[in-house]
Amino acid sequence: MDEKPLIIIENLKKYYPVRKGIRELFNTKKEFVKAVDDISLTISRGEILGLAGESGSGKTTTGEIIVRLQEKTSGEIVLDGHPIDDSSREGRKRFRREVQMIFQDPYETLNPRSTVFETIAEPLKIHGWKDKEKIYRRVWEALEIEELKPPEQYLFSYPHELSGGQRQRVAIARGIVLEPKFLVADEPVSMLDVSIRADILNLLKGLRRDMGLTMLYVSHDLSTIKYICDRIAVMYLGKIVELGPVNKVLSKPMHPYTKVLFSAVPVADPDHVKERIVIDDEVPDQINLPVGCRFIPRCPYVKDQCSSCTHELFEYAPGQFSACIYREENLTVNDDRIIDEP
Amino acid sequence: MAFLEVKNLEITYTIGSGSLKAVDGVSFSLEKGQSLGVVGESGCGKTTIAKGLMQLLPKNGSITGGSIKIDGKEMVGLSREAMRRMRLKEIAMISQSAMNALNPVYTIGDQLVEGIMAHSSLGRKEALRRAVEVFEMVGLEEKRLKSYPHQLSGGMKQRAVIALALTLNPPLIIADEPTTALDVVVQDRILHRILKIQKEINSSMIFITHDISVVSEICEYIMVMYGGKVMEMAKTDDFFRHPYHPYSLGLQNAFPIITEEMEELISIPGSPPNLQNVLPGCRFQERCPFAEQRCRDEEPGFAEPEPGLLTACHFPERVEEFREKAAHRDTWETVRKRLIEEMKEGAAHG
Ligand SMILES: Nc1ncnc2c1ncn2[C@@H]1O[C@H](COP(=O)(O)OP(=O)(O)OP(=O)(O)O)[C@@H](O)[C@H]1O
Ligand SMILES: Nc1ncnc2c1ncn2[C@@H]1O[C@H](COP(=O)(O)OP(=O)(O)OP(=O)(O)O)[C@@H](O)[C@H]1O
Ligand code: SF4
Ligand SMILES: [Mg+2]
Ligand SMILES: [Mg+2]
Repeated sequence: MDEKPLIIIENLKKYYPVRKGIRELFNTKKEFVKAVDDISLTISRGEILGLAGESGSGKTTTGEIIVRLQEKTSGEIVLDGHPIDDSSREGRKRFRREVQMIFQDPYETLNPRSTVFETIAEPLKIHGWKDKEKIYRRVWEALEIEELKPPEQYLFSYPHELSGGQRQRVAIARGIVLEPKFLVADEPVSMLDVSIRADILNLLKGLRRDMGLTMLYVSHDLSTIKYICDRIAVMYLGKIVELGPVNKVLSKPMHPYTKVLFSAVPVADPDHVKERIVIDDEVPDQINLPVGCRFIPRCPYVKDQCSSCTHELFEYAPGQFSACIYREENLTVNDDRIIDEP
Repeated sequence: MAFLEVKNLEITYTIGSGSLKAVDGVSFSLEKGQSLGVVGESGCGKTTIAKGLMQLLPKNGSITGGSIKIDGKEMVGLSREAMRRMRLKEIAMISQSAMNALNPVYTIGDQLVEGIMAHSSLGRKEALRRAVEVFEMVGLEEKRLKSYPHQLSGGMKQRAVIALALTLNPPLIIADEPTTALDVVVQDRILHRILKIQKEINSSMIFITHDISVVSEICEYIMVMYGGKVMEMAKTDDFFRHPYHPYSLGLQNAFPIITEEMEELISIPGSPPNLQNVLPGCRFQERCPFAEQRCRDEEPGFAEPEPGLLTACHFPERVEEFREKAAHRDTWETVRKRLIEEMKEGAAHG
């Protein structure tokens, strides 16, 4: 892709101050949770980038900062040539039109007292659409794209009258009604039953195909990432540890954390022989971070030099980056880290 | 006779003036040391079975038919007191809600020791020794016995719950979505711990989950439920290699497998049946691409097309054709069109 990326994220940081108990009140050292700690990424036009990683690694925070639900601590995000914090009237308006987010829980995000029509029409009205006929037609179109057919059946339904999958479709319809350029989808299928997840995933794929929509797909589920994303970024404690084309990263992960994560995914194939990499499953301390690589306390391949790691991303294979100071072929298991298990 | 025998189990909830049969004629049996994975969409009755076996149903729910035998002894109709004694000692339950049920004002150790003493003849000292032992089994340090629930992470709490459930070497373990809210890496460790302990004490295990791939990894048998009924039951390996039931065939195309190249995933159009108003015939008829008049008239019984594999479909002999068709999107699109037509008609008539 020779075109300029749609989104450029540079040195993004989000630090949350830690609230202190009475006892530590006089300790003047400020402590932070470094939820997102200096990440840089680009997303091309029409690309779907998957953001994976452990719970608490900073995925949602990253997504919410991009859609400006949260303020960043520092760094730069440029969308289609415009910094997202352009605070001019015009800039704010453009941003609200071009960037949308959908969330995990369709039950919580829809107003229970609004009909499907009202829900989807609202963003149009906010953006100054007045012509009733045009609004109606646009809502109708959005419902058809979402395969909520026949639309007349749904227009005047309330959220409680819809199934989980239908509610998520309404949420997506609301998200795309203004034809945004960029969509952040945060775990959009994890609340849905397996039997209907594919519909939503195919829908998101279709939006990219038909509208050229660019997407950040946040999920802890590597299997769905593999299905809909072009590239994947894996986060660990606020850092990107691996980045690359989804097929490469998920067939030959390079970073130790990605290897561990991949090996922990259950596989519905009795003939698949699995290499399990067992690590300490304790949630890591988010405040007192280790010197060097953040994965040191749990990494099965740890060596002395790991304390010199700065999380710089190395391009060990074309397009595939890892923040580990070792190439995958040079990783050897540290005997002290072998955990006995059947 | 198997260690656990469930026959024609029926569990009914009353709501207002009506009622719904959440579990409708479910039968299965388990030997000691065997594990059964129960899967199916939200609302298909998985938790209701678990609560029924524990006889911990909510007030408006009751067992309205069938039998549950453990070691030859009938459980249905036992007094509340007799059942209370059975729990923990004979049947242990690990669930998400158990995590929230940990008492916030007592240390985990105290709760564990109390639990052991209440259900065994052990004294405090021996109970404590046993508590340390099970903590080790689930991978928690001894010092964590002194922690209060709020001082533990989600993964640690879940392990404490497992410890609590397994202290008395229960011969039957019921795990209801024990890892659903947890991270994959944590889930993997916890699943293997549960599995290891289950093997060590040779208990039977019923493992409930909506994640079919978890069953593939840890259970020997699988039971697929739909709308309160069993659709298919088989050895896990057989099931994943060649399922028979149209619902299973649909599920097979519906979720991605990380180790495989997938062309296209296909959903099963529609939603589960309304249990307050069930149609005669096959429970899956509305969403089944192969449904015929017979499916609407007559409820399919179980066929055993292969030894040990049960499928509740009228046409087990057409499985080759079904498999071939179920792999195509068009097959399921016809269901979607049919559902839309029916909805339009419904709207037109009322
Ligand atoms: N408003 C907040 N105040 C303080 N800390 C926060 C806040 N929001 C998030 N955090 C912390 O920032 C870290 C990253 O959280 P985030 O929600 O981005 O993780 P995530 O990767 O989305 O996790 P999950 O998979 O559980 O959704 C966590 O340690 C979290 O506790
Ligand atoms: N206390 C109750 N009163 C009335 N109906 C109930 C009650 N509990 C459950 N049900 C109904 O019984 C059916 C089975 O519910 P159950 O909780 O057993 O499903 P499940 O398979 O465990 O679903 P999930 O995957 O969402 O946990 C559902 O239709 C549900 O709405
Ligand atoms: S009995 Fe009929 S409706 Fe039921 S699964 Fe078989 S073909 Fe489909
Ligand atoms: Mg999140
Ligand atoms: Mg349940």
